[in-house]
Amino acid sequence: MRSRLGTRAAIATASVLAAVSTAHADFWSDAAAPYKGATIRGVSESTPPSNYVKDVLGPAFTEATGINVEFEATSWDQMYDKAIKDMEAKTGIYDFVYIEQDIIYSYLARDFLVNISQALKDDPKLASPDFKADNFTTFINYFKNADGDVFGVPMEAFVKVYLYRKDLFEDPANKEAFKAKYGYDLAPAKDHKQYRDIAEFFTQWGKDNDQEVWGSTVQAHTGHPASWYEFFESVDPTFGVYNWGINPDGWSASEANGGAMNSAKAKAALEYWLGLLKFAPPESTSSTWDEVAASFAAGRAAQGLVYGENAAWIATNADKSNVVGKVGVALPPLEDGVLQEVEAGKGYIGYYDGGAFGIPYSSKNQQAALLFLQYIGQASVQADWAVAGSRITHQATYDDPKVKEMDAKTDGYFTLMKNDGKLFAGAPAYPFHAQVREATAPFFYEAITGALSPSDALDKMAEAAEAELKNLGYRK
Amino acid sequence: MRSTTIGWLMLAPTLLILTVFGVVPFVYVLVVGFTDWNAFAADPTAHFAGVENYRRLVFDGQFLNSLWKTLWFAIFAVVSQVVLGYFLAQLLMKDIPFKGFFRTVHTLPLMVAPIAVGATWRLLTVPGLGPLPYYLERWFGIEYRLGTYADQAFLTTIIMDVWHWTPLVTLTMLAGLASMPKEPFEQAQIDGANKLQIFWHITLPMLKPTILATVFIRMMDALRTVDEVWMLTGGGPGAATRYVGLHIWRVVFPKTDYGYGAAMSLLTLYLTIVMCWLLYAALVARRELPKAE
Repeated sequence: MRSRLGTRAAIATASVLAAVSTAHADFWSDAAAPYKGATIRGVSESTPPSNYVKDVLGPAFTEATGINVEFEATSWDQMYDKAIKDMEAKTGIYDFVYIEQDIIYSYLARDFLVNISQALKDDPKLASPDFKADNFTTFINYFKNADGDVFGVPMEAFVKVYLYRKDLFEDPANKEAFKAKYGYDLAPAKDHKQYRDIAEFFTQWGKDNDQEVWGSTVQAHTGHPASWYEFFESVDPTFGVYNWGINPDGWSASEANGGAMNSAKAKAALEYWLGLLKFAPPESTSSTWDEVAASFAAGRAAQGLVYGENAAWIATNADKSNVVGKVGVALPPLEDGVLQEVEAGKGYIGYYDGGAFGIPYSSKNQQAALLFLQYIGQASVQADWAVAGSRITHQATYDDPKVKEMDAKTDGYFTLMKNDGKLFAGAPAYPFHAQVREATAPFFYEAITGALSPSDALDKMAEAAEAELKNLGYRK
Repeated sequence: MRSTTIGWLMLAPTLLILTVFGVVPFVYVLVVGFTDWNAFAADPTAHFAGVENYRRLVFDGQFLNSLWKTLWFAIFAVVSQVVLGYFLAQLLMKDIPFKGFFRTVHTLPLMVAPIAVGATWRLLTVPGLGPLPYYLERWFGIEYRLGTYADQAFLTTIIMDVWHWTPLVTLTMLAGLASMPKEPFEQAQIDGANKLQIFWHITLPMLKPTILATVFIRMMDALRTVDEVWMLTGGGPGAATRYVGLHIWRVVFPKTDYGYGAAMSLLTLYLTIVMCWLLYAALVARRELPKAE
């Protein structure tokens, strides 16, 4: 297995090198000549797209430039811990760091990052002719400041989609039994009532057929922020509560003060989401995003909201997934009126996730890191990366034959992202992202365990959010 | 005079290391604890906040709850380890088959990093994957859900700690038992003392210094446990296993509330010292009062 992976990485590296070298053979070696032999260090979350950088793009860059890349792919918590400590203390350990879309506003507020646009203007010799900000999808806008300058080169972007088991949904016996019980056709859910019915139906189906299949995944870890994120980024918006229910006009969270964190819609959303737990695999209250993907890939759930970075391997990698060829992709179920609101530009239906690599000001190898970021931002490396990590950051990548082939295997995941990506959004532009999350999460976990009712939990969360915002100096 | 200088010179490297890695960070934390420093506040610079952080701590239900849970965790874990460690040490004092093999295997958990212990126990206990929930349900009908039931999570963290650290207690008890003179035991047997009397009047008093040292070391370790529990439960479900070390980590790192987190650290250190002093006073000092002539 290990040697097979090594062979795959070597083949991928060779193909990247071939693609890049045909484009601009001399630029990389010429521009990198002053930095040859230097080592740049980066830290990222261990995800399929990051691991592709570690195994393929890093070695290819070293081959092309003579600059070594030490790439640390670690857990989400550790990645933040290390990157923030390094930038806060200005130790200069890392030359590039992963910036998840939701943390960029905090980093910009602290001036942690190098202005990439300005750096390339200041030193045109370092500007690759194959790196153009215009090639990127609109996702790059999340990493720009008010002046339009880029502070991070997008390396992954995907939407959190509704995955379902096509084999179960299309089984004639299941269709017949479902219609007999619920009075309408079994199909991917369009609204929350349908989603709940389907979850209930397949949970019972699993019991009746003595199979370990449940109705829905629920990312409901009771001690990890993953559960908080699933609710606020992927469930709350489908009920019409956006931006965590925080009103930037006065930074209020409670309904009494003009926020919506504890609004009737939010309470209905939490009640619905918690209600799915009885139709979810038993590991759900210990599941983060990784375990949810693993549960779905193991065939333990009939449907679920799954981060897009996992869609490709779940649908195609038989070494890791039991549901290859059985995966359907759809938009998340919505409450009435939400789609109209979103199409009118008033909100979003789910999470447009992703991240970029940025250069900390404290980096001691900023020029070499700048070259690396442009290298991974070239058009020529995007298609293979998209196939390996189901991420797309360039508009043209959608039309690449390799991506189209993968699109067919994933039931049109990339097409959905291309056509309906505009309905999704990243996290709100809050510089206090982690602070409010940490202040409110304990009450949220207690709602999952049942120690607090959904209504009480959201009331306490709104109160805690406002107290934290006041403590941080945002709310007066 | 000359020997004093040489003595100081020989101590210098240790003093230097203690100063750099002990005193300086302590003073730094002490200073930060009196500021309102949060890296992502509207004003991210540190300002002197007086005793405001300490005032907040006294009314912080989450912090007090984590302290309380930590105390219970430490008491249950350490008492279990001492009792179990004593009996295992007694067993290893006897001539039993495969004693060497058992002693080696028994010591293995000590060599595993806490984070790896947490990961191992997570693999053992996650429903749908781990064998523990599967067999508990199949054999005993117990629905074991670490992410759902607070009491199960609390108990599991104690069992994990006992599994990890009992070997240390066994080894120290073994050393204590092996160093005891035989004469008092032989004399007691001649005088007709039964096993309980020998244990109570001879073994326990002679083993007391070993037990005390072990209890102090393990108690301090248990009070600052983080890695294993972070990996196993993340502090959940809810706040059921959010012990004080983990709580401080969440406040200082993900929340970047450096000033408040530093104050929490200092208060916890102070409470740990007070607790150890009380324990020492209760077990030792009281009996060392000068006796009346």
